[in-house]
Amino acid sequence: MQEELGPYGLTIIAVAIDSDLAAVQEWAAHAPGLTILIDRDYTVAEQYGIVNVPATVWIDEDGRIVRPADTAMGDDRFRAFAHVDSSVHHAQLRSWVIDGERLLDDSTVAELMEQPSPELQQARLHRRIAVELHDRGDVDGAREHLASAAGLAPNDWVIRRGSMPMNDVDPFGEQFFAFVGEWMQAGSPGYRLATGREYPGDTPQQA
Amino acid sequence: MATVINDTEHVEVEATIGEHWLLEPEAFESLTGWTLKPEGMCREDVCAPILRKDAVFPEAGLIDLVEAAPVIGMTAVVDTARGVAAMTASAAVRGASMTTLQAPAFTLPDMHGNPVSLHDFDRRKVLLLAWSSW
Repeated sequence: MQEELGPYGLTIIAVAIDSDLAAVQEWAAHAPGLTILIDRDYTVAEQYGIVNVPATVWIDEDGRIVRPADTAMGDDRFRAFAHVDSSVHHAQLRSWVIDGERLLDDSTVAELMEQPSPELQQARLHRRIAVELHDRGDVDGAREHLASAAGLAPNDWVIRRGSMPMNDVDPFGEQFFAFVGEWMQAGSPGYRLATGREYPGDTPQQA
Repeated sequence: MATVINDTEHVEVEATIGEHWLLEPEAFESLTGWTLKPEGMCREDVCAPILRKDAVFPEAGLIDLVEAAPVIGMTAVVDTARGVAAMTASAAVRGASMTTLQAPAFTLPDMHGNPVSLHDFDRRKVLLLAWSSW
Protein backbone atom coordinates (compact mmCIF):
# COMPACT_ATOMS: atom_id res chain seq x y z
CA MET A 1 0.00 0.00 0.00
CA GLN A 2 2.85 2.40 0.82
CA GLU A 3 4.38 1.89 -2.64
CA GLU A 4 1.05 2.26 -4.39
CA LEU A 5 -0.32 5.24 -2.46
CA GLY A 6 2.89 7.03 -1.43
CA PRO A 7 2.98 9.03 -4.69
CA TYR A 8 -0.55 10.26 -3.88
CA GLY A 9 0.64 11.71 -0.57
CA LEU A 10 0.08 8.86 1.87
CA THR A 11 2.55 7.81 4.54
CA ILE A 12 1.94 4.63 6.48
CA ILE A 13 3.28 4.73 10.03
CA ALA A 14 3.24 1.27 11.56
CA VAL A 15 3.26 1.62 15.34
CA ALA A 16 4.04 -1.58 17.21
CA ILE A 17 1.95 -1.58 20.39
CA ASP A 18 4.42 -3.93 21.91
CA SER A 19 6.98 -4.14 24.72
CA ASP A 20 9.03 -6.89 23.12
CA LEU A 21 11.65 -5.20 20.95
CA ALA A 22 13.15 -8.46 19.66
CA ALA A 23 9.75 -9.75 18.52
CA VAL A 24 8.99 -6.47 16.78
CA GLN A 25 12.33 -6.52 14.98
CA GLU A 26 11.63 -10.01 13.73
CA TRP A 27 8.28 -8.92 12.25
CA ALA A 28 9.72 -5.66 10.95
CA ALA A 29 12.26 -7.57 8.86
CA HIS A 30 9.34 -8.68 6.69
CA ALA A 31 8.39 -5.10 5.82
CA PRO A 32 11.52 -3.29 4.65
CA GLY A 33 10.97 0.34 3.72
CA LEU A 34 7.96 0.80 5.99
CA THR A 35 8.19 3.36 8.81
CA ILE A 36 7.96 1.18 11.91
CA LEU A 37 7.89 2.71 15.38
CA ILE A 38 7.80 0.96 18.72
CA ASP A 39 5.41 2.04 21.46
CA ARG A 40 6.48 0.08 24.54
CA ASP A 41 4.34 2.13 26.93
CA TYR A 42 1.25 2.01 24.68
CA THR A 43 1.09 5.82 24.61
CA VAL A 44 -0.33 5.95 21.08
CA ALA A 45 -2.97 3.41 22.12
CA GLU A 46 -3.92 5.77 24.95
CA GLN A 47 -3.91 8.91 22.80
CA TYR A 48 -5.91 7.43 19.92
CA GLY A 49 -8.21 5.08 21.85
CA ILE A 50 -6.82 1.89 20.35
CA VAL A 51 -8.27 -1.10 22.20
CA ASN A 52 -7.23 -3.86 19.83
CA VAL A 53 -4.77 -4.55 17.03
CA PRO A 54 -4.46 -4.45 14.14
CA ALA A 55 -6.22 -1.11 13.94
CA THR A 56 -5.89 1.92 11.71
CA VAL A 57 -6.47 5.64 12.17
CA TRP A 58 -6.66 7.98 9.19
CA ILE A 59 -5.11 11.44 9.65
CA ASP A 60 -5.47 14.10 6.95
CA GLU A 61 -2.99 16.75 5.73
CA ASP A 62 -4.18 19.16 8.42
CA GLY A 63 -3.47 16.72 11.22
CA ARG A 64 -7.12 15.90 11.79
CA ILE A 65 -8.51 12.44 12.40
CA VAL A 66 -10.94 11.49 9.63
CA ARG A 67 -11.39 7.84 10.58
CA PRO A 68 -11.03 6.78 14.21
CA ALA A 69 -9.25 3.71 15.50
CA ASP A 70 -10.94 0.57 14.37
CA THR A 71 -10.02 -2.97 13.58
CA ALA A 72 -8.70 -3.06 10.05
CA MET A 73 -6.92 -5.99 8.59
CA GLY A 74 -3.97 -5.62 6.25
CA ASP A 75 -4.74 -9.04 4.86
CA ASP A 76 -7.22 -11.84 5.43
CA ARG A 77 -5.35 -14.01 7.92
CA PHE A 78 -7.81 -13.27 10.70
CA ARG A 79 -10.87 -12.93 8.52
CA ALA A 80 -12.60 -16.07 9.73
CA PHE A 81 -12.32 -14.80 13.26
CA ALA A 82 -12.88 -11.08 12.88
CA HIS A 83 -15.34 -11.03 9.97
CA VAL A 84 -13.39 -8.15 8.49
CA ASP A 85 -12.61 -8.16 4.79
CA SER A 86 -9.33 -6.36 4.09
CA SER A 87 -10.33 -5.51 0.51
CA VAL A 88 -13.12 -3.25 1.79
CA HIS A 89 -10.64 -1.29 3.88
CA HIS A 90 -8.16 -1.10 1.01
CA ALA A 91 -10.80 0.21 -1.40
CA GLN A 92 -11.91 2.85 1.13
CA LEU A 93 -8.30 3.89 1.68
CA ARG A 94 -7.64 4.28 -2.05
CA SER A 95 -10.71 6.40 -2.52
CA TRP A 96 -9.72 8.66 0.37
CA VAL A 97 -6.09 9.06 -0.70
CA ILE A 98 -6.60 9.34 -4.45
CA ASP A 99 -10.01 11.00 -4.72
CA GLY A 100 -10.23 12.71 -1.34
CA GLU A 101 -13.44 10.88 -0.58
CA ARG A 102 -14.18 10.73 3.12
CA LEU A 103 -16.27 7.96 4.52
CA LEU A 104 -17.37 9.78 7.66
CA ASP A 105 -18.16 13.36 8.53
CA ASP A 106 -16.57 15.02 11.57
CA SER A 107 -19.51 14.47 13.89
CA THR A 108 -19.61 10.75 13.08
CA VAL A 109 -15.85 10.46 13.66
CA ALA A 110 -16.23 12.17 17.04
CA GLU A 111 -19.11 9.89 17.92
CA LEU A 112 -17.14 6.76 17.01
CA MET A 113 -14.13 7.70 19.14
CA GLU A 114 -13.78 5.28 22.04
CA GLN A 115 -13.92 7.53 25.11
CA PRO A 116 -11.77 6.12 27.89
CA SER A 117 -13.15 5.41 31.35
CA PRO A 118 -11.21 6.41 34.48
CA GLU A 119 -10.64 2.67 35.07
CA LEU A 120 -9.13 2.20 31.60
CA GLN A 121 -6.73 5.11 32.15
CA GLN A 122 -5.65 3.57 35.46
CA ALA A 123 -5.26 0.17 33.80
CA ARG A 124 -2.98 1.72 31.18
CA LEU A 125 -0.82 3.20 33.93
CA HIS A 126 -0.56 -0.11 35.77
CA ARG A 127 0.60 -1.63 32.51
CA ARG A 128 3.31 1.01 32.07
CA ILE A 129 4.56 0.30 35.58
CA ALA A 130 4.54 -3.43 34.78
CA VAL A 131 6.79 -2.89 31.74
CA GLU A 132 9.26 -0.87 33.81
CA LEU A 133 9.34 -3.51 36.56
CA HIS A 134 9.70 -6.31 34.01
CA ASP A 135 12.67 -4.47 32.48
CA ARG A 136 14.23 -4.35 35.94
CA GLY A 137 13.78 -8.10 36.32
CA ASP A 138 11.01 -7.73 38.91
CA VAL A 139 8.70 -10.35 37.40
CA ASP A 140 6.43 -10.59 40.46
CA GLY A 141 6.01 -6.84 40.57
CA ALA A 142 5.16 -6.78 36.87
CA ARG A 143 2.56 -9.54 37.32
CA GLU A 144 0.94 -7.68 40.21
CA HIS A 145 0.43 -4.60 38.06
CA LEU A 146 -0.74 -6.60 35.05
CA ALA A 147 -3.34 -8.24 37.28
CA SER A 148 -4.51 -4.81 38.47
CA ALA A 149 -4.69 -3.63 34.85
CA ALA A 150 -6.73 -6.68 33.80
CA GLY A 151 -9.13 -6.14 36.70
CA LEU A 152 -9.67 -2.50 35.72
CA ALA A 153 -10.02 -3.08 31.96
CA PRO A 154 -11.34 -6.63 31.53
CA ASN A 155 -12.46 -6.10 27.91
CA ASP A 156 -9.52 -4.20 26.47
CA TRP A 157 -7.57 -6.45 24.10
CA VAL A 158 -4.47 -4.27 24.18
CA ILE A 159 -4.38 -4.61 27.97
CA ARG A 160 -5.51 -8.24 28.25
CA ARG A 161 -4.00 -10.00 25.27
CA GLY A 162 -1.10 -7.57 24.99
CA SER A 163 0.00 -8.53 28.49
CA MET A 164 0.08 -12.26 27.84
CA PRO A 165 3.66 -12.51 26.50
CA MET A 166 4.98 -10.63 29.55
CA ASN A 167 3.05 -13.02 31.77
CA ASP A 168 4.49 -16.02 29.89
CA VAL A 169 1.00 -16.82 28.62
CA ASP A 170 0.50 -18.02 25.03
CA PRO A 171 -1.47 -15.26 23.24
CA PHE A 172 -3.18 -17.99 21.19
CA GLY A 173 -3.58 -20.41 24.10
CA GLU A 174 -6.23 -21.47 26.56
CA GLN A 175 -6.21 -18.23 28.55
CA PHE A 176 -6.65 -16.24 25.37
CA PHE A 177 -9.77 -18.17 24.41
CA ALA A 178 -11.09 -17.81 27.96
CA PHE A 179 -10.64 -14.06 27.60
CA VAL A 180 -12.42 -14.06 24.22
CA GLY A 181 -15.34 -15.86 25.86
CA GLU A 182 -15.57 -13.22 28.61
CA TRP A 183 -15.28 -10.44 26.08
CA MET A 184 -18.04 -11.85 23.87
CA GLN A 185 -20.29 -12.26 26.90
CA ALA A 186 -19.73 -8.58 27.58
CA GLY A 187 -21.11 -7.82 24.11
CA SER A 188 -17.80 -7.63 22.20
CA PRO A 189 -17.08 -4.00 23.13
CA GLY A 190 -14.77 -1.93 20.94
CA TYR A 191 -15.01 -4.14 17.88
CA ARG A 192 -17.41 -2.24 15.66
CA LEU A 193 -17.05 -4.09 12.40
CA ALA A 194 -17.40 -7.49 13.98
CA THR A 195 -20.44 -6.50 15.99
CA GLY A 196 -22.43 -4.93 13.19
CA ARG A 197 -21.71 -1.37 14.30
CA GLU A 198 -20.20 -0.93 10.88
CA TYR A 199 -19.41 2.26 9.06
CA PRO A 200 -21.55 3.42 6.21
CA GLY A 201 -20.10 1.83 3.10
CA ASP A 202 -18.61 -1.14 4.92
CA THR A 203 -19.97 -4.55 4.20
CA PRO A 204 -18.75 -6.94 6.90
CA GLN A 205 -18.67 -10.41 5.47
CA GLN A 206 -19.12 -13.73 7.13
CA ALA A 207 -16.22 -15.96 6.27
CA MET B 1 15.49 8.47 43.48
CA ALA B 2 12.22 7.21 42.09
CA THR B 3 10.87 6.82 38.55
CA VAL B 4 7.83 8.49 37.05
CA ILE B 5 6.65 7.32 33.63
CA ASN B 6 4.73 9.99 31.75
CA ASP B 7 3.52 10.03 28.14
CA THR B 8 6.92 10.82 26.70
CA GLU B 9 9.64 9.59 29.04
CA HIS B 10 10.74 7.82 32.18
CA VAL B 11 11.86 10.54 34.59
CA GLU B 12 14.01 10.12 37.69
CA VAL B 13 12.63 12.30 40.49
CA GLU B 14 13.44 13.11 44.10
CA ALA B 15 10.40 11.92 46.03
CA THR B 16 9.50 11.30 49.65
CA ILE B 17 7.79 7.96 49.59
CA GLY B 18 6.02 6.43 52.53
CA GLU B 19 2.30 5.86 52.64
CA HIS B 20 1.99 8.59 49.98
CA TRP B 21 4.14 9.59 47.04
CA LEU B 22 5.21 13.15 47.90
CA LEU B 23 7.06 15.70 45.80
CA GLU B 24 8.58 19.11 46.51
CA PRO B 25 6.76 21.77 44.47
CA GLU B 26 9.89 22.25 42.31
CA ALA B 27 10.01 18.54 41.47
CA PHE B 28 6.28 18.56 40.69
CA GLU B 29 6.81 21.53 38.38
CA SER B 30 9.70 20.00 36.46
CA LEU B 31 7.70 16.79 36.10
CA THR B 32 4.39 18.29 34.99
CA GLY B 33 5.02 21.89 33.92
CA TRP B 34 2.53 23.12 36.55
CA THR B 35 3.67 25.64 39.20
CA LEU B 36 2.25 25.83 42.70
CA LYS B 37 1.03 29.38 43.40
CA PRO B 38 -1.28 30.87 46.05
CA GLU B 39 -4.20 30.66 43.56
CA GLY B 40 -3.60 26.98 42.77
CA MET B 41 -1.67 25.00 40.19
CA CYS B 42 -0.73 27.26 37.30
CA ARG B 43 0.62 26.82 33.80
CA GLU B 44 0.98 29.74 31.40
CA ASP B 45 -2.07 31.88 32.11
CA VAL B 46 -4.26 29.09 33.48
CA CYS B 47 -4.65 28.34 37.18
CA ALA B 48 -6.56 25.38 38.60
CA PRO B 49 -7.77 25.87 42.17
CA ILE B 50 -6.85 23.21 44.72
CA LEU B 51 -10.10 22.26 46.40
CA ARG B 52 -8.96 19.36 48.56
CA LYS B 53 -5.97 20.98 50.23
CA ASP B 54 -5.75 18.43 53.06
CA ALA B 55 -5.40 15.60 50.54
CA VAL B 56 -3.05 17.37 48.13
CA PHE B 57 -0.76 18.56 50.96
CA PRO B 58 -0.75 15.76 53.57
CA GLU B 59 2.54 17.17 54.87
CA ALA B 60 3.50 20.83 54.93
CA GLY B 61 5.23 21.88 51.73
CA LEU B 62 4.94 18.52 49.95
CA ILE B 63 2.54 17.58 47.14
CA ASP B 64 0.80 14.20 46.97
CA LEU B 65 1.22 13.09 43.35
CA VAL B 66 -1.94 10.95 43.21
CA GLU B 67 -4.12 13.66 44.75
CA ALA B 68 -2.59 16.53 42.76
CA ALA B 69 -2.85 14.82 39.37
CA PRO B 70 -6.63 15.39 38.98
CA VAL B 71 -6.12 19.10 39.73
CA ILE B 72 -4.11 19.38 36.49
CA GLY B 73 -6.33 17.07 34.43
CA MET B 74 -4.20 13.98 34.89
CA THR B 75 -4.38 10.65 36.66
CA ALA B 76 -1.53 8.87 38.44
CA VAL B 77 -0.86 5.37 39.72
CA VAL B 78 1.96 4.83 42.19
CA ASP B 79 3.79 1.79 43.50
CA THR B 80 5.21 3.20 46.69
CA ALA B 81 6.97 -0.05 47.62
CA ARG B 82 8.93 -0.18 44.37
CA GLY B 83 9.32 3.55 43.72
CA VAL B 84 7.64 3.57 40.31
CA ALA B 85 4.75 5.82 39.29
CA ALA B 86 2.98 6.50 36.01
CA MET B 87 0.80 9.37 34.92
CA THR B 88 -1.28 10.33 31.90
CA ALA B 89 -4.31 12.39 30.93
CA SER B 90 -7.44 11.88 33.00
CA ALA B 91 -10.30 10.11 31.25
CA ALA B 92 -12.22 13.39 30.99
CA VAL B 93 -9.30 15.29 29.47
CA ARG B 94 -8.44 12.51 27.02
CA GLY B 95 -12.09 12.15 26.05
CA ALA B 96 -12.40 15.89 25.42
CA SER B 97 -9.19 15.93 23.37
CA MET B 98 -10.44 13.02 21.26
CA THR B 99 -13.63 14.82 20.28
CA THR B 100 -11.60 17.76 18.89
CA LEU B 101 -10.41 15.27 16.20
CA GLN B 102 -6.96 16.86 16.36
CA ALA B 103 -4.44 14.02 15.95
CA PRO B 104 -2.33 13.91 19.14
CA ALA B 105 1.38 14.50 18.57
CA PHE B 106 3.74 11.66 19.39
CA THR B 107 7.42 10.84 19.08
CA LEU B 108 8.54 7.22 19.18
CA PRO B 109 11.77 5.39 18.35
CA ASP B 110 12.09 3.54 15.07
CA MET B 111 13.83 0.17 14.68
CA HIS B 112 17.24 1.88 14.90
CA GLY B 113 16.32 3.86 18.00
CA ASN B 114 15.93 7.15 16.11
CA PRO B 115 13.01 9.34 17.23
CA VAL B 116 10.25 9.81 14.66
CA SER B 117 7.34 12.23 15.15
CA LEU B 118 3.93 12.49 13.60
CA HIS B 119 4.96 16.08 12.75
CA ASP B 120 7.69 14.75 10.46
CA PHE B 121 4.85 13.93 8.06
CA ASP B 122 3.02 17.27 8.18
CA ARG B 123 1.07 18.04 5.00
CA ARG B 124 0.78 14.38 4.10
CA LYS B 125 -2.05 11.97 4.70
CA VAL B 126 -1.10 9.43 7.35
CA LEU B 127 -2.39 5.94 7.88
CA LEU B 128 -1.53 5.09 11.45
CA LEU B 129 -1.40 1.33 11.61
CA ALA B 130 -1.30 -0.10 15.11
CA TRP B 131 -0.04 -3.67 15.18
CA SER B 132 1.82 -6.01 17.48
CA SER B 133 3.78 -9.25 17.54
CA TRP B 134 1.35 -10.81 20.02
